[in-house]
Amino acid sequence: MAQNQLDWKTEDKPTGKPPLSLDNVHVGYATRRGKVQAVRGVTVDLRAGESLALIGESGSGKSTLGLAIVRLLPETAQVSPGVITYRRDEREVDVLRLTPNEMREFRWSDCAMVFQAALNAFNPVLTVWNQTFDTAKAHGWHDKQAVLARLVELLQFVQLDPKRVIDAYPHELSGGMRQRVLLALSLLLNPQVLILDEPTTALDIITQRTIIKLLRQLKEDQHFTMIFISHDLAIAAELADRVATMYAGRIVELGTSDDIFYRPRHPYTLGLIRAVPTVSGGFEQLFSIPGSPPDLINLPSGCKFHERCSFATDRCIQEEPELETVGLNHAAACWNWRAVAEELKLNPLHRGALNVLDPSIILAEAA
Amino acid sequence: MTTTATVPESLGSEQFNRSPNILSRFAQNFYVRRLGKALFTIWVVSTIIFFLIRLLPGNPVEQYIARLIETQGMDYENARTQAAALFAINLDAPLWQQYGDYLWNLLHLNLGVSITSPGTPVTAIVARFLPWTIFSVGIGLIFSFTFGILLGLMMAYRREGFLDHSLTIFASVVSSIPNYLIGILLVVWLGVQWKILPIAQMRGTMSPGVTPSFSLAFLGDALFHAFLPITTYVLTTIGTWMLSMKGSTVGTLGEDFVTVARARGLTDWRITTAYVGRNAALPLFTQLAIAIGFVVGGSFLIETLFLYQGIGYQLNVAISQRDYPVMQGIFLVITMSVILANLLADFLYGWLDPRIKVG
Amino acid sequence: MGVIRGFFRSLSTTLKLMTYNKAGFIGFLATCFILIVCLIGPFFIPLDSKTKLDQIYQPPSAEHWFGTDHQGRDIFSQIVHGGKDVIYVAVVAAFLSTAIAVTFGTMTAFVGGKIDGAIMGFTDIFLTIPQFPLLAVLAAFITLDNLTYLGIFLGLLGWAALLRAVRAQALSLKERDFVEAARALDLGTLHIVFRELVPNMMTYIVISFTLALTAAVYTQVGLVLLGLVPVSSSNWGVMISMAWTQGAIFFRDAMWRIMMPILAIALFQLSVITMTRSLELAFNPRLRTMV
Repeated sequence: MAQNQLDWKTEDKPTGKPPLSLDNVHVGYATRRGKVQAVRGVTVDLRAGESLALIGESGSGKSTLGLAIVRLLPETAQVSPGVITYRRDEREVDVLRLTPNEMREFRWSDCAMVFQAALNAFNPVLTVWNQTFDTAKAHGWHDKQAVLARLVELLQFVQLDPKRVIDAYPHELSGGMRQRVLLALSLLLNPQVLILDEPTTALDIITQRTIIKLLRQLKEDQHFTMIFISHDLAIAAELADRVATMYAGRIVELGTSDDIFYRPRHPYTLGLIRAVPTVSGGFEQLFSIPGSPPDLINLPSGCKFHERCSFATDRCIQEEPELETVGLNHAAACWNWRAVAEELKLNPLHRGALNVLDPSIILAEAA
Repeated sequence: MTTTATVPESLGSEQFNRSPNILSRFAQNFYVRRLGKALFTIWVVSTIIFFLIRLLPGNPVEQYIARLIETQGMDYENARTQAAALFAINLDAPLWQQYGDYLWNLLHLNLGVSITSPGTPVTAIVARFLPWTIFSVGIGLIFSFTFGILLGLMMAYRREGFLDHSLTIFASVVSSIPNYLIGILLVVWLGVQWKILPIAQMRGTMSPGVTPSFSLAFLGDALFHAFLPITTYVLTTIGTWMLSMKGSTVGTLGEDFVTVARARGLTDWRITTAYVGRNAALPLFTQLAIAIGFVVGGSFLIETLFLYQGIGYQLNVAISQRDYPVMQGIFLVITMSVILANLLADFLYGWLDPRIKVG
Repeated sequence: MGVIRGFFRSLSTTLKLMTYNKAGFIGFLATCFILIVCLIGPFFIPLDSKTKLDQIYQPPSAEHWFGTDHQGRDIFSQIVHGGKDVIYVAVVAAFLSTAIAVTFGTMTAFVGGKIDGAIMGFTDIFLTIPQFPLLAVLAAFITLDNLTYLGIFLGLLGWAALLRAVRAQALSLKERDFVEAARALDLGTLHIVFRELVPNMMTYIVISFTLALTAAVYTQVGLVLLGLVPVSSSNWGVMISMAWTQGAIFFRDAMWRIMMPILAIALFQLSVITMTRSLELAFNPRLRTMV
């Protein structure tokens, strides 16, 4: 149906350079007990039109990193050292050095961050239209009719009835509807990068499905550049081109979806994948990663994962590994990644170990 | 162009929540229900006053009759008739009929005639002095509420700062002290000790020789005289508003939609006013009703203190002179004002918060 | 009864809670100090009632800590003696209001239904009537020369706001498991109210009591000021009232005579309220977002 086509998106001039580059980004909070090191040196490029998934447990620093990109962290947070470079057409800026006003314009029109569980994402006393026009006005777009037209188009894209939604107050819409409205709103100003923080958590299965379909459309038809932040591997498997697993504030493995899910080289990634129960498998024992995430104020020595790692050796306790190439476009931060590869040869991951939501891949594997 | 949605701001949406028949929808309407409750309360209060006058020990009607007989040598029948006229009641009729007459009189705004100022209907007294009270109390409440909210908002934004701490102490101290003591303190310090204000000239509601008119000069004069009562009302109530608003704002600042609003690139000004301010102020409107009752009740004391001739002052005069019809009438009017003010506050809240189900 | 024992037991937990918050603790100490001075002080400091015309309106000195009044009498001793009546009336009134509010508040919360509706309707109407004018009007009919009667009178009229608050608290407790268990055991309404609900609300009841205290002080001093209550002995309210009627307010040197009782009342109210606020915060951490 024509309604699902966004024919308004102007293609940004391809410059060949990644729209977003993170270079040695650190984020710390000052607390009474000490300094919390939430992100400790993340370096990654987000390529044009690609979707990158940041996967990790709570406390891994993934949400913090997302918030750091749009600089919405609380005032006690310090984002330094580090450089976040943003490029669009001919512009190139360091996001962390933007003035407050420039930052305000950057948000939503260059980079839109969609938060999870949009239950409370809207001002209860204003209608959807009010809040949409607020957003447009704040970025210098005062043409009511044009904004309205765009909003209608976007609402139709997310499969909502504009008549029902535009004059409604947030409490009159269901949770799933609100999440879709937020998604529509995020596209209002034609941003180059979308950051989605837990876009499907706290939603029912049907709505999750709808959101994932929409996101896939954005990815495949419109070639949006996206970052997904989630603890849910399934969404990464469905939507991401590349996946980065994060642990204790650092990226511990970075690679394509295939690499990560079929050829993981970091014990943490392996543990995450094995922990997901399979649809097709029988009642086998679930592997959970023993222990709990480290205290971000008093981090352990060496590799931060060594206390929970079955592959740990002496070197792991003393030296923290950096990301090293373990395959084509595949990097892992582990001294013993070869041991992980060996382990996988002996105990391969089960068919359909992931992709709980998309049966076609299970069938492809089985074939 | 497909949609009909140009920018109408209809309250909520009418396509949800439709009741089957129009009468029940009318009855369920928020405004109608509140109005009904207000009218019911007025009726109940009138009834209570009716029985109060008749059933209390030292029944004022009987007392008055006794006084007439003693002081004026009237016989019982004449005294009774006079008392009946003054109190606007018929003493011969059975109780329920007296009650009916009483209600009938009320509906016709007949509140009886004053004892100490013979010939002056109570309604005239009320009409003459009530505007002054409304003037001072109204301005006081509006000032207090508005500034309380603004200060509370500031305190929340600059939390833990010097402003926050000092204003919190100020608010706590000032709201603990009884309002009449604050009034006395104002007189003692501003008037007598430091001689900032000419309190002798500020007594009363108008300067001698001034006639009421819709002029700026008159307004200025009225404000001059009402300055002390208004200041007292403001000082007494502003503390609570400040602290409540601060708490509410701090809570609202932590809400998700504020973060999302910032992520959407909205200006700080817009966020502070339409996103944080409006939502934080909303719960305070429920306290407005209590505050109105408190201030109106307090006007009784404050007006006496400052010799400000509003309706509270008159009530005190009537009490000291045992002028029962006036007492009864003013008391009823005061209560009705509170009920009506509460009703307005409820309506205001219903209009401001779209989550209140209207139909 | 078990309720009384529970009351004192929770007073000790209350004391512990109060030490958490500095301001509240200071308020608590101040309240205790004032109580001791007013209740025990009179035994040690005699009331100066001799008129000394050569010492009218003296400023504070070593001999007269708070100066002297219009008849040369020592103000300090008057202050010390002036608190006990005020406090006594306030305690009687607060006790009565709290008792009514707790009994009927919990019962109506528990019973619910039409009875709840009726009681709440009655309470709402009561709340709408402005309290002070009502008291003034009633005081015109009823002579209140006895302190105890005054306390009872105030208590009978001041329960409404408290009842609402207690009912809200009881409603939140009602859904808890132990109440359900008591119901299942068919223990009877009175038992459940007094043996189950009330003991669990004890800290809250203590808070209600102290708030009722401040309200009672406010009301009685106001009534005294207006001359509606003929009180014979000297108490803080009477001191202010006399200063007011004698026009002493407008007289510069009479400042001490007026300020001292005002400060005494203000300090008492402030201490009790500060103490209560921190109690509320400690008792219900959710309140920290509200005030």
